Formats: sequence, structure tokens, C-alpha cells
Amino acid sequence: MSFADAVTLAWEFLEQLALAAIDLDKLDVADVCLQKLGAKFPGSPRLEVLTGIRMEASEPITTVLEYYNDLLIADPTNAAAWKRRISVLRRARSLDKATEELIQYLDTFYTDPEGWLELADIYVSNRQYTSALQALSHALVLNPQNPFTFVQFAETAYSSGDLPLALKMFLVAIEMMERDLESPETKPPAGLAFRAWWGIKLCARHLLGGASGVSSSPSNTPVPKHLKSVDALATERVLGAYKGKELEERRRLVEHWLSSSK
Amino acid sequence: MAPTVRISAVAYYKLYFHAAKHPHQPVNGVLLGTQDKAGGPIEVQDAVPLLHHWTSLSPMMEIGLDLAGQFAQENGLKIVAYYQAQRNVGDVGLGPVGEKLLGRLREQFKDVVGFVIDGEDFGTDKAALNPWTYSGDQWKAVPPSDKPFSQGSVYQLASPDLPTKALHYVREEGHHQAFGDFDDHLEDVTIDWIRNRTCIPIDA
Repeated sequence: MSFADAVTLAWEFLEQLALAAIDLDKLDVADVCLQKLGAKFPGSPRLEVLTGIRMEASEPITTVLEYYNDLLIADPTNAAAWKRRISVLRRARSLDKATEELIQYLDTFYTDPEGWLELADIYVSNRQYTSALQALSHALVLNPQNPFTFVQFAETAYSSGDLPLALKMFLVAIEMMERDLESPETKPPAGLAFRAWWGIKLCARHLLGGASGVSSSPSNTPVPKHLKSVDALATERVLGAYKGKELEERRRLVEHWLSSSK
Repeated sequence: MAPTVRISAVAYYKLYFHAAKHPHQPVNGVLLGTQDKAGGPIEVQDAVPLLHHWTSLSPMMEIGLDLAGQFAQENGLKIVAYYQAQRNVGDVGLGPVGEKLLGRLREQFKDVVGFVIDGEDFGTDKAALNPWTYSGDQWKAVPPSDKPFSQGSVYQLASPDLPTKALHYVREEGHHQAFGDFDDHLEDVTIDWIRNRTCIPIDA
């Protein structure tokens, strides 16, 4: 590493230290970092946002919002300041204003998957599932290789009552994560795949149960033809993860759930 | 009058560790206990933690609740309460998702109570739990003037020093590190989310 690189790292470290200190309410440490950074990088927009974050820890919300407003008046393209303002609005429970601003922000800065995920999260906390799915579909366009977003979409679709759509998306996520799996018997699902298999099992179980309206799909997604096979496979995959003596009690609990139908 | 609710050390420690493990995130779970007759005193004996991630989404919540309910039944217990902590310190509301969940739980247990963890009081010697009950077709917060968890209140901890002890177990002994919820279990199947045996202090 060159000396110049080491020096850059040192300043970045101070920035990280300031953020960590604010997180732990050690504001005096944060202030020292900010002082040093301020002396070295006067007028830096990045530092202005960091100063805003420091203010969020101790100043009244109105003061902080005014500060970010001023930054945005001086530079309307300051995406970081805009996002901070939106998160402060959300924290202050001005959900309508936060949503309105976030939509405006995403109109300007479309290629920000984090923004679309945040919008989906706000909608979902208010049980506005259709709007959440719309926001998530933008996140999917921006991150088409990310199984995590597909699972989030699937779970949101389930929460909105569209089981066929949820099932489809869980299956897409599994296909992404396990398409190269050579011997599934020796490799039980783990992590996100485990979660997705559970989701598939839950959807299949309800859809096979045939309660009225259960396969209705506002997105007109059809129920897969081989639903029984999907259900059997999901059962096998989920159960396959519970091997060994220590897991016996949990395995029994899960077996009971898997075998009961609703 | 609302039935008395007494929370055991084990149940309190578990919900405390759950909240302490995820200070920046919402968490939720259920409390298991017994009630000898409808309207009678509720003894909360255990807690089963559910989610700290995508807490407003239902599929994993549904599976977790089903499994927790099964576990309760096998051990002669019922789901008697629901607890949650919101993301932001000042937010002590139930929220639309909490209300919906409580509504579902109420179908199985009429006297179900909602407890919202109070971020301001969490970490002090107060219980830091705000009870919500169903009356007149709505979920309502028990007014602060009722002083829940103080002497004479319908809501009691098994002993008044539980919050102080819980804080000690978190700060000095890191018991919450060994703690796992259903979300953790979905990532790592070896995590004992139903019992969380290893995190329970000996004196509980």
C-alpha cells in the first residue's frame, strides 16, 4: 500500500469511527473526529452529511430538518442529504411526508435499490401491500440477480394474499440459489434457501388445502400444475435440514407441522 | 376488570435478551403461560421469540406462531401474550401489524395481552413494558396512570429486580449473545429458538 493510500484510509477510518461513536452515544468522541475531518476537508458535502447525522443524535427534529433543507437548497442533487431527511421524517413518524419525499427522490434517483426497498418497507409497515409490491418490482429490475429481493417479494406477495405469486417468486429464488446443486440429499438447504423452502411449503399447503379463494391471484399468476410434487419436494428439503440428535425435538415439532394440513 | 398477569423471570429475561440483541431493529415474539379459568389470573412462564427481520411480513410469522402454539400445547401452556419492540425509541404504538396479530391470537385466547417494549425505559430498573388490552372493540394502551408493574398493579413481574438483573446479564455476562429467534433459526437450523436453554441464567 502506498503512503497516499494509507493516509486516505486513515481519514475514512475517522469517518467510520465518528459513525460508530454516534451509534454508541459517545458523542464527545464523534465531535473530536468531526473536528479533525472538518479541518482537513472544509466544505466537503460528505462531511456536511456526517455533521447532519451527528446533529440527529442530539438536536430537536425541527433543527435537523432545517439543516438538511438548507443543504438541499444549496445543492438539490445532494442525494445523501435527501435520504437523511427522509429517514428523519420516518423516525418522526411523518410517514405521509416521508413517503411523498421518497417517491420524489426515486423519481430523480431511480437507480437506488436501497430507496425502493425502504419505500416497500414503509408501505408494508402500514399494510399497504400492493404499493409495496410495486416498489419491490423496481428493486427487482435493478437487482435481478439477487435472490434476497425475490424472497422479500415472495413474502410480501404472501402477506398481500396472493399465494400463487408468492409461490412463484419463492421458486424463482430457489432456482437461483440451488440450480447448480448436484446432490441435494447430501446438501440440505441453509440460510436464505432454507427460508425459501419453508415459504414454498407454506404456500403449497394452503393451495392444496383448497379453502375458498385461496388460489385467487390479483396478479393472475396461475397455480403450478405439479403442485403436489412441489409440496412433496419442499417437505423433503425442509425436513432434510433437521439431522442429528440435538435437533430431535425441533425435528419432531417441524414434522408434526409438515404433516398436518390446513 | 382485566385479569392479573404475572411474568416469570425466564419469560422476562428472554424477551429482554431478544430486544437487547437487536437494538436497532423491531422484534416480536409470544409469551406462553397458563390461566385456570376464563378471566382468571394469567401466569406467564416462558417466551418464544419470533422475528427481528421483515417483522411486518406474514409467512415466517405464521410458521413461527404455528410451531410456538404446538410447543405450548405439548407443554400444557397457551399463547397468552404477544410482545414487540418498534424500531424507534419513541415509538410505543402497537401499529397495524401488531393489532392484526393480536386479533388472531385473541381468537384462541380471549384475555390475550399485547406488550410493547418501551425503548426509553429499557435498560433502567423499570419493567419497560406497556400493556395493551382489548376493550370496546379496540386495542387500547393501559394508561400510564395505572402504573403497570408497580406495586398493586394487575401486571407484575415475578420479582421487582428482574430488569436490573436482566441488564446485568446483558452488560456484564453477554447472555443475549447466546440467544436466537425464529429468524436466526431459519438461517441456522441448529439455533434452539424454541427453548433458548443456554441463555437462561442459573438463578431464573
